[in-house]
Amino acid sequence: MAERRAFAVSRIAVPVLGLFWLAVTSLPFLFVLFTSLKTAQETFSSPVWALPESLNLGNYVSVLRGFFLIYLRNSVFVIAVSVTLIVLISAMAAYALARLRFRFNKPLFGLIVAGMIVPLHITLVPIYLMTRDLGLYDTPFALIGPYVATSLPVSIFILTEFMRQIPRELEEAAKLDGCGPFTIFLRIFLPLSGPGLSTVAIYNGIALWNEFIFAYVLTSTPQHRTLPLAVWDFQGEYASDIPAMMALVTLTSLPLIVAYGFGQERIIKGMMAGSLKG
Amino acid sequence: MTSISLANVCKKFDGAAPVIRNVDLEIAAGEFCVFLGPSGCGKSTLLRMIAGIEAITSGEVRINGERMNEVPPARRRVAMVFQNYALYPHMTVRQNMEFGLRQARTPPAEIENRVAEAARVLQIQPLLDRMPRELSGGQRQRVAIGRAIVRKPNVFLFDEPLSNLDAALRVHMRSEIARLHRDYPHASVVYVTHDQTEAMALADRIVLLRAGSDREQQGSIAQVGTPLELYHRPGSLFVAAFLGSPRMNFLPVVIAAIDPDGVVVRLRDSGETLRVPVAAGTARPGDAATLGVRPEHLQPIAPALSGPAPQTITRAVRAVERFGEYDYVYLTGADGEDVIAKLGGGTGVSTGPLTFSVPPGSCHLFGTDGMTFERRAGG
Repeated sequence: MAERRAFAVSRIAVPVLGLFWLAVTSLPFLFVLFTSLKTAQETFSSPVWALPESLNLGNYVSVLRGFFLIYLRNSVFVIAVSVTLIVLISAMAAYALARLRFRFNKPLFGLIVAGMIVPLHITLVPIYLMTRDLGLYDTPFALIGPYVATSLPVSIFILTEFMRQIPRELEEAAKLDGCGPFTIFLRIFLPLSGPGLSTVAIYNGIALWNEFIFAYVLTSTPQHRTLPLAVWDFQGEYASDIPAMMALVTLTSLPLIVAYGFGQERIIKGMMAGSLKG
Repeated sequence: MTSISLANVCKKFDGAAPVIRNVDLEIAAGEFCVFLGPSGCGKSTLLRMIAGIEAITSGEVRINGERMNEVPPARRRVAMVFQNYALYPHMTVRQNMEFGLRQARTPPAEIENRVAEAARVLQIQPLLDRMPRELSGGQRQRVAIGRAIVRKPNVFLFDEPLSNLDAALRVHMRSEIARLHRDYPHASVVYVTHDQTEAMALADRIVLLRAGSDREQQGSIAQVGTPLELYHRPGSLFVAAFLGSPRMNFLPVVIAAIDPDGVVVRLRDSGETLRVPVAAGTARPGDAATLGVRPEHLQPIAPALSGPAPQTITRAVRAVERFGEYDYVYLTGADGEDVIAKLGGGTGVSTGPLTFSVPPGSCHLFGTDGMTFERRAGG
């Protein structure tokens, strides 16, 4: 009887909570979308949640006429290179830490994991100075180094735990088949770590796509800035073009939404990796 | 033809007591040798040391007379079948079987021939393009064996290969492995199991390993011999207890007399006397010992009318388990210790005292150190 009641409650509570969460996540996006289709005057004259009077695409046109595409190109380049490097380096480090026996293996892993608790902001000044001294200031390459470095601890942590779950017998079978450590990594561990690698790529891809502080400190011209800084183009000292900013936010979010639409299944699998026994 | 030789092999993991101690063993070319023992006795570790995937702490492993301690696994010409199959999950069956050969840069035509031949022998041709996750446990095990066969190894190593299969499939795969050994007589086989039935059915020779404090004192190997040698002539109480289901009955006794025909012992609980045809060695009358009798060697007889008959024991029946083919009769001794008799099915035994003959040739006598008294010639 009690079981049946619990079942009935869960049948109602789960969809209600689901709808509530859908509202929490989608309402801000709807606000952004509606506002981006209003004129600047309409933004102030109509209620916040009012639908636009007409489909005004002028804000999108003005955003696309500006530096948006350059920002987009920079973001895509920086994130593609950074995520590739992060996945490659963290996978190699994780394999070594998870499976190779060497001195100081555990302390080294602890040190890397400790890197996760270093506040980003205390590294800004030394990173700025290093970037400037290397002659990389205000180039897309200025961002790749800090992005990779700050993302590695959590990525190595995730992948090390993931690779520890891969049965040791597979490694031993590969040894009997004549593989050395690098071949075992390349032919066995890397293909089997697909869900873990997806997790790392997705997690870092989203985080870096929205990264603001390094981009703000290490780049200064529109030619080398990334998308999170584009919003500054529409914010003056005394006035803000809110609908244009919302159009920009919509366009900035669009690649992530499209990527999610196409890779939904893989993304969910990646985020769930390791949480359930396969 | 390839032989394997282990000389004084020891294995110790960091900071722990040795899991393998003083193993001296010769495995003949083409022999089917089974490592048997309880959990934690190090049988898998010993196998892995032969394979080269576990380092040897001390001692020497030789394959075909050549020292192997420093030789990497792939160059030992051994192939291993793992307990959980260890098939590469992201490769098809064919790719799994080809992988080792490709690593060894075997010509493609040769690879194709070998895979086709192994698939034919194991009847897995229809499975070649499937992924491991699409196979049943038995099919996976066949593929794992196929992966070993294609390498044409000198030594097959099996690490509890049937443990993950259900009972019926285990019996079937057991006969497949025996057939494989017949088909590849040049290769030696080392097979690890904790299942005595598997060991008895497959082995040319069994190496029974000990665990715990006995290993510390006496080394890892308890006894080496053919399955019937170990069963009928156990060298120690541990071996006698490990082999046989239900296990051998052990009765505490006192040595009552020693004469040229053997030793007469008196059972502590009932006072009955039995003759055991063994050499007394250093034992003296009055010494404590343990008498061992296998359940199937206790045969019920009609009780004698005047006093106890020689070479018999009488016990009350506590319970009977009937399996059709045979019955297990649980008997209670004077001090409450259980004795089990395995009788042919349909005996109709239910309650009351039963008298059993105990043939002298079926009796084993163990000293307080757990070692067997040496059997007299013809005993």
